[in-house]
Amino acid sequence: MTRRLPTPLVLTLAFLVLLVGLLLAGGLLVRSILTESFSNAEHIQSARVLVATALRAQLDEESAVRGYSAVHDPLLLQPYYEGRRTLPGLLRGTGTVIERLGVRDALPYIDDAAATNRRWLVRVASRLLVARKRTHVLELRGKVLADRFRADIGAVDQALVRREVLGDARAQRAIIWANFFALAAVLAVAAAAALFTVQEYRLGVRLEQERAEAEEQRRRTAELRAAYDAEKRIADTLQAAFAQRVLPDMPTVRLSATYVPATEEAKIGGDWYDALQLSQDRMLLAIGDVAGHGIDAAVAMNKTRQMLISYALIDPTPGRVLERVNTELVTENSPMITAVTGLIDADTCQLSYAVAGHPAPVLLEPGRRARFLKAGSLPLGIDPNTSYATHLVQIAPGAMLVLYTDGAIEYSHDVLEGETLLLQAIESAVQNHEDDPATAIRVGIFSRHRVSDDVAILTVHFLEPDAARDVSEASALRRSA
Amino acid sequence: MNSNASIKTIRLCGELEIGRKSEIRDALSRSGEERAILIDLSEVTYADSVALTELLRFCVECQRSGVAVALVIKTPQFARVVQYAGLASAFKTFDNSEGAVAYLSEHVQR
Repeated sequence: MTRRLPTPLVLTLAFLVLLVGLLLAGGLLVRSILTESFSNAEHIQSARVLVATALRAQLDEESAVRGYSAVHDPLLLQPYYEGRRTLPGLLRGTGTVIERLGVRDALPYIDDAAATNRRWLVRVASRLLVARKRTHVLELRGKVLADRFRADIGAVDQALVRREVLGDARAQRAIIWANFFALAAVLAVAAAAALFTVQEYRLGVRLEQERAEAEEQRRRTAELRAAYDAEKRIADTLQAAFAQRVLPDMPTVRLSATYVPATEEAKIGGDWYDALQLSQDRMLLAIGDVAGHGIDAAVAMNKTRQMLISYALIDPTPGRVLERVNTELVTENSPMITAVTGLIDADTCQLSYAVAGHPAPVLLEPGRRARFLKAGSLPLGIDPNTSYATHLVQIAPGAMLVLYTDGAIEYSHDVLEGETLLLQAIESAVQNHEDDPATAIRVGIFSRHRVSDDVAILTVHFLEPDAARDVSEASALRRSA
Repeated sequence: MNSNASIKTIRLCGELEIGRKSEIRDALSRSGEERAILIDLSEVTYADSVALTELLRFCVECQRSGVAVALVIKTPQFARVVQYAGLASAFKTFDNSEGAVAYLSEHVQR
């Protein structure tokens, strides 16, 4: 896997490369200026030496001629001949160097010096050597020409000095530039280092932050996973408990029940149902729903179930049972709970029930449409002063009572539509003489809808006398077997 | 606040669900000075058990403190939920604001 360099690092490197390029270019420029300057200085020095030599040669010539004219000793003419031999070459050499240096304003002086020297040789030196005596005219002419020659040589030397000064100034500027580049390089490297350090620090901080976030995410995921597993275990246990529940078996009443959790994921709901035979003819029914989900809801549900059964064993009147449970729940600051409690008297075929904020029970009697029974009191755990009315209903043989939780009617958030579909599913289950009406009702509702909340359904079928006798005999046979 | 300073109006809309619990709890609050509260739920179509708990507990608390409560409920779906949740039997519900205001004004003047 190739790892991409972080952008700040790339920028820093690019900056450094650009900087090094600029510094190299600056350094080369300065180097070339200095080299040229040193080279020129050497040439100027050599030119000045040539000029000085030429001047000395001319002086030697003049002194030699003067000396010879005074004492007539030929030996004294040696510098004269030497000067005649070397001076033109010296002046030519000086001219070449000057031309190379570009000191063009000095060239006429060189030419003039050469011409002056030639005139001096012809008009002064030759005549003195021939006459072998000095005359005022020759003296004066010689002086004029010698002065002119010196003036020319002086002008050439001045031009060379000016050129040298100019070259020195240029070299000085180049040195200043070199110092500037060096200082700039130091500053730039320091800035780049600082920039890189800052960026590296930021990068480090960001990486550390990302690492911490990833670690936190892993920890949360692990926690969620653990919580999920725990809830799943509890949900599985509760479901298993519902699945294994054995419903009471009475000769004239047949029960069926179903429970499905909200989703396939672990989401413990607070729905429950209970059916408990209190005596030979009497049976306690209960169905309820704790608001919310999770462990708290499951705990509240179990506590309420136990309370409800306990109070029913003392006084099974449904309204009284709910009132006692309600008082207890308000005291314990419990979550809100909706419930229906019913008491079936199989002997008289009567149902007494009370409702606490729960969807109304449905009764379907033979030859009639399914209908909702009366309901409408505050849920449990809200107000300790709530009273719960006990309603009494005479049940016709063959009728079916259906208790359910809100998940069976609120899946689309349109309760009226949910209630209509529920009534249809109940009527269909009864018409089809389903062996397990509760499951048939649930399937009838949720064949077209997703289960969005827990659903519990408990059905009570009040059997016709003939059917009751058949069931009773079948039960007896099962018991004897 | 209503034009009548003693009557506070609280308005909730849409579907009241567990995800809006804190919003609902914040909306259902009392300053302590009002003597009557009109809870306008005319645009509410559904409330889950958690939202209903908040609503019921608030209404009961108001009643206990002597603050009159009137609820305006218009959608038939929510009216059915309110009916079986016992709100309709424990508290005054109206299908229009005028009726609710008239009831609360009478309570305030009393």
